[in-house]
Amino acid sequence: MVAALGETTGAGQLERLRNKMLASSSGRRILRTRPTLSTETIDLNYLRSLSPATFGNKYVSWLDAAGVSPDTRTAVHYVDDPELAYVMRRYRETHDFFHTLTDLPVTVPAEVALKWFEWVQTGLPMTGLSAVFGPLRLNSQERQLLRQSLIPWAVQCGSTCQDLMCVEWEKMWEWELSRVREELGIWPAPNNFEESSRVEA
Amino acid sequence: MLGLSYRSSTFTQTLIEKYAYRSRTLATLRNIPLQNQFVNAYDVIILGGGVAGAALAASLVSSPLMKAKKIALVEAMDLSRVQQWTPTSGQYSNRVVSLTPASRTFLEDIGVWDRLFIDRIRPYTNMQVWDGISDARIEFDTSIFSKTHQNVSEPPAIAYMAENVNLQYGIMKRIRAAQESGQQFDIIDNTKVQRVFAQGKDGEKEDAIDLSAWPSLELSNGQTISGQLLIGADGANSPVRAYADIQSLGWDYDRQGVVATLQLDPATQNVTAWQRFLPTGPIAILPLDHGISSMVWTTTPAIAAALKSIPEQDFCALVNVAIRSNPADVQYLCQQIQKSEHGLDLQDEYSWRQMAQNESKTSEEIASREDRLPPHVIGVQSGTRASFPLRLRNSERYVADRIALVGDAAHTIHPLAGQGLNQGLRDVQVLSNVLTNGVKHGEDLGNIHLLSQYASNRYARNLVMLSACDKIHRLYSTEFGPMVWARSLGLRGVNAFGYLKSEIMKYAMGIEDVKSKITPSRERFVNIDRL
Repeated sequence: MVAALGETTGAGQLERLRNKMLASSSGRRILRTRPTLSTETIDLNYLRSLSPATFGNKYVSWLDAAGVSPDTRTAVHYVDDPELAYVMRRYRETHDFFHTLTDLPVTVPAEVALKWFEWVQTGLPMTGLSAVFGPLRLNSQERQLLRQSLIPWAVQCGSTCQDLMCVEWEKMWEWELSRVREELGIWPAPNNFEESSRVEA
Repeated sequence: MLGLSYRSSTFTQTLIEKYAYRSRTLATLRNIPLQNQFVNAYDVIILGGGVAGAALAASLVSSPLMKAKKIALVEAMDLSRVQQWTPTSGQYSNRVVSLTPASRTFLEDIGVWDRLFIDRIRPYTNMQVWDGISDARIEFDTSIFSKTHQNVSEPPAIAYMAENVNLQYGIMKRIRAAQESGQQFDIIDNTKVQRVFAQGKDGEKEDAIDLSAWPSLELSNGQTISGQLLIGADGANSPVRAYADIQSLGWDYDRQGVVATLQLDPATQNVTAWQRFLPTGPIAILPLDHGISSMVWTTTPAIAAALKSIPEQDFCALVNVAIRSNPADVQYLCQQIQKSEHGLDLQDEYSWRQMAQNESKTSEEIASREDRLPPHVIGVQSGTRASFPLRLRNSERYVADRIALVGDAAHTIHPLAGQGLNQGLRDVQVLSNVLTNGVKHGEDLGNIHLLSQYASNRYARNLVMLSACDKIHRLYSTEFGPMVWARSLGLRGVNAFGYLKSEIMKYAMGIEDVKSKITPSRERFVNIDRL
C-alpha cells in the first residue's frame, strides 16, 4: 500500500518524468549519456560570440543580466536512485532556459508564472507548491495579473508545448531563438507588467 | 421452423413413431442392404476434429452405452498426420494449452491421458502474476493446500502444459482403439463441408427412415451424410452454428496473441508460470521443459506483426524487455520495431535499461529481484512465432433441434487465464454425459429437451468465466493512476488473504473440492441426474 501511495508522491512523479523521457528518442539519449549543464560543459564565451539572435547568445545574455551562472544550483540530495537523481538534476539545470524561451524575468510574479508552467509540464510536487503558495507573497495587483494573463498562458503553453525534459538544448545554441520556440511550440509570456499596472492605476 | 411443425399434432404423432422406430433400429438395421441415403446416416456427426471435437468423440466411444451407435468425425485437415506424430526431443509446438486438473481427470476418465506422450506434459505448482505498472504481485502456490487440507501430502499441480498435437495424438489413439474393439466410428478427414442443410422431403420413400428433419452435410468427396444429432466443434466461425441460425454475441479485442516457443537460460529452474500485465495486454511465459517455455504475448495487431517479422535476436531481447523493463521502455521499443529502419540495437537497449534499473541495488537486492522473474530468454525456436486474434464470443444458445455446439463454436475467451480449451473440455464432458444418459433412457439424441440439459449446465458457467476474464482484461488495460492504485491494493489484498486466494485457485483449476482432485475418480463426472 505504501508503494502504491508512492505513485502520488515526488518519487512517483520523478519516475513518471523519467518514463516520459524513456518514451522519446532524445529523452533516451539524455538518460543514457546523462549530460550536465555547467560552466565546465558550456563554453559561455563561445555563446557570447554567437549572433545576438541565437538561442545561445540570448541565454548567456540572460545569465549575465540576472547575474547567475549555470553552476549556482543546489545539488540533488534526497533521491537514492541515480537515474531519478539525474532526472531531478536535469530538471533544475534546464530551468534557466525556460526564462530565455518565455521572456519571463526574475521577479516574483514571473517566477510564480514559470512555476505554473513547470507544474503543468512536469507535475513535480515542489513546482505545484510554489505555484499555489507563491502568490501569497504578491500584492493584489500582481495577483490579478497572474490570474488574468500569466497563469492562463502558463497552463496553455505548458500543456501544449514539447516535453522540455526531452530537449537536447546543447544542440540548439546556434539556432535563432524564434526557431527554437517554433520547434518546441513555445510562445513568450504576455509581457504586460508595466502596462497592466498602468491600467490598474 | 422445426419447432412450429412439431406443434401440429398429427404430424407430431407420426414423427414420434418414426423416431421411436429409428432410435431402436438404426444400429441393428445397418447390416441389411440399404439405400445410399441410409448408409450415410449416423447417430452422431461431429464436425471438427480439433481437440474439443475429437475429445467428444473419444468421450462418447469410451462409454459402453455408445457401442451400438454410429458416429462420424468430419475434419478438413489430414488427421493421419496427427496419428503419426513423432515428437522431437527438445522441440515444442507453439500451440499449447494449460490443462486444469479437472481437464486432466476428464482425459483420464476417457482413456486419453495414458495414451499421451506424458514426458512432454509439464505440471506447475507455482504461478506468479504481476502488474507491470505498480509491480503489485500475486503468487499462487499449491503448497497452500497442504496447509489447509490434511490429506494433501504434496502440492498438486495448478495446471499441466501440453501441446495440442499431443492431445490430438492421444485422442486419436483412443478412438482407434475403440474402432478396433468394434465401435462403429467413421473418421472422415481430409474432407471439407460444402454445405450444411436439412434434407427436403422429396426423396422420401415409405419404407425408408424419414431423414427430412435431420441435419445433413454435403462433403467435398461427393458424399452426403445425415445425422440424428450434429455437433458443431467447428471453431469460432462455426458453419453448424450458422446453419442453426444461432447468433454469436460478443466483440473483438483489438489485440493479437503472439505465441512462440522460447529457449530459456538453462542455469535457472523452470517450474513456474509467469504473467505480467502490461497496458497493451499480458505476457505469459509457461514452462514446457527444462530451459523451454511457451510464450503468449497479448498486444496490438501492429506490434504483433512486427514481433513476428523482426530478427530472432531482436525478438528475444524484446521479450526480455517486456518481462523485466519499465512499461514506458516496452512501449517505446515496440513502437520503434514497427519502423522499417529503427537503427536500434535492442540487445544493447535492454542491457542499458537493466543496468539503470539495478544501479542503486545491492547484489542481494538484484538476486532477490531475479528470484521473482522468469529465466532470461536466450532464443526462440525457429518457425514458432505466430499470432491469432483475440475475441470474446458467446453463442446466444448452445443447442437447437438436432444441433449442439461445443468449444470455440459455442464460445471464445480472452486467453489471459488459459481457460479456453478447458471450458471446451468441460462442454464435451457434460454433453457426453447428457448423451450417454439419453441412450440409457432410450431418448432421441437430437431432441432439444435432452440437449437443453447440456446447455443449462454449461451456459451460465461459461458466461461467468468469459466475463471474469473480460473484466480482468479491462482492469489492466488502463494506466489511470487511481485505477492502478486500486487494482494493486486489491491484488495485494487477495495475495495476503490465503482463503480467498485458494478459492480463486480452485475455481481456475476447475476443482471445487481438493480432496477429489488429489485422488481423481469417476465420481467427479458431472452428475446429470441431479440437474
